[in-house]
Amino acid sequence: MLQFVNDHIVCRPVICKSLCDRIFIPVVEFQHVNKWFGTLHVLKEIDLQIESGEVVVICGPSGSGKSTLIRCINRLEAVQSGEIIVAGKQLSDPSLDLRALRAEIGFVFQQFNLYPHLSVMENITLGPIKVRRVSREEGEKTAMQLLERVGIPDKAGAFPASLSGGQQQRVAIARALAMQPKIMLFDEPTSALDPEMINEVLEVMTDLARDGMTMVVVTHEMGFARRVAHRVVFMDEGQIIEEGKPESFFAEPKSPRAKQFLSKILFH
Amino acid sequence: MNYHFDWSVLWTGQSGQWLLQGVVTTLEISVLAWLLALGLGTLSGALRTVPFAPLRALATCYVEFFRNVPLLVWMFFWYFALPPFLPQSLQDWLFNHGAEFWAGTVALGVYHGARFSEVIRAGIQAIPKTQFEAAISTGLSTGQAYRLIILPIALRLIIPPATNESLNLLKNSSVALTIGVAELTFQTRQIETYTARAFEALTAGTLIYLALCLTIAFVMARVERRFAIPGMIARVGAAEH
Repeated sequence: MLQFVNDHIVCRPVICKSLCDRIFIPVVEFQHVNKWFGTLHVLKEIDLQIESGEVVVICGPSGSGKSTLIRCINRLEAVQSGEIIVAGKQLSDPSLDLRALRAEIGFVFQQFNLYPHLSVMENITLGPIKVRRVSREEGEKTAMQLLERVGIPDKAGAFPASLSGGQQQRVAIARALAMQPKIMLFDEPTSALDPEMINEVLEVMTDLARDGMTMVVVTHEMGFARRVAHRVVFMDEGQIIEEGKPESFFAEPKSPRAKQFLSKILFH
Repeated sequence: MNYHFDWSVLWTGQSGQWLLQGVVTTLEISVLAWLLALGLGTLSGALRTVPFAPLRALATCYVEFFRNVPLLVWMFFWYFALPPFLPQSLQDWLFNHGAEFWAGTVALGVYHGARFSEVIRAGIQAIPKTQFEAAISTGLSTGQAYRLIILPIALRLIIPPATNESLNLLKNSSVALTIGVAELTFQTRQIETYTARAFEALTAGTLIYLALCLTIAFVMARVERRFAIPGMIARVGAAEH
């Protein structure tokens, strides 16, 4: 992989550096990854490459290992064998600066997990101030821009408990974006939401994808996958069963298990 | 029964002064021990929940060692058993500066610190694990996540049981009379000895402890309301915000 990166550094013109970053370099790579919880084999020989700027949706029945897979990317879960490379860093490297790596990876949880004792503004500025060492003034300016972007600039002074689920999740997205991450990971971001709030969160995610953010999304929102994803990865029992462009995956899934899964969630 | 109450024993002679000194000493030893207990308890309670196993083990040893020996034994230990192992100069200094007071404070502090530790651990464990994960996912260190997120939430959650512990600590400061600390119970007994008026002396002591404890409970209830997380915990009678 290093060779691959170097080739591009050598050959590309300087002016298209940022463009090339977006197009060619894999930012997440799984190589023969295995993980067990006790005796339960939750990830089996996972091989996966995610390119910069790509939006990948991971779907599959519950217990298939999709949340575990996404949690491995910022090492909330450690793996027992294989290698994961994120932004050029091997996660198994003992000298890895895990904090610096995590600062580059935004993570959005199913349960939002806002800090309940801090205001929306403080939720968003805490990371930039404590980790990135930006000034409070600058942090708040960025936070206001992000709150505009997720559509709730009027909630800066509110506390999380006074917000709806959809608003809380949008704050959580703004909090992750405030760190200016290279990758955004979403672990079932709409599963805890009332139906009428799902769209407001998906819209924010769609905008983010249009802006070229690299995104890995575990979700059951197949409409979102169809409209926004560049690639759909289908998992079952800890394995990647198939992957492909959303058009082909939804129109003609190759494996019987994907067919069965899709028939259950698309036509009920 | 033919007992003539004589409440004047509480303010004639030196009684009033003794009681006052007793209250001051009780408050001094309790406040210092409380600070020690809260510090040790918060630290060890937090360490019992961290990912790094050796730190968890260390904190567990502290808790199990100190909470499973009677407070009275700790008082004797810190006052009689430990000082000979200290440097001579420190021993001299201690015994010129109320060694019994410091031994009592440390005994009370480390004993209640072990108990506070469990209260704080329970508070931390009441917070979903993903709250911690959300904090470290933004690049915060484990220490920062605890200091900025986990402990501020846990300390709010545990105010009711922490109030209990604080009241017990104040009442347990009376055990320090056994190593000669002239706190409130000590002074009450001194009045009883000088006046042979057990009922009046002990009634005075009882009422003073009651007043101190009610004050603490009142203050802690105010603290709980002041630091309540908006909208997080429903409580009966709490004002709308």
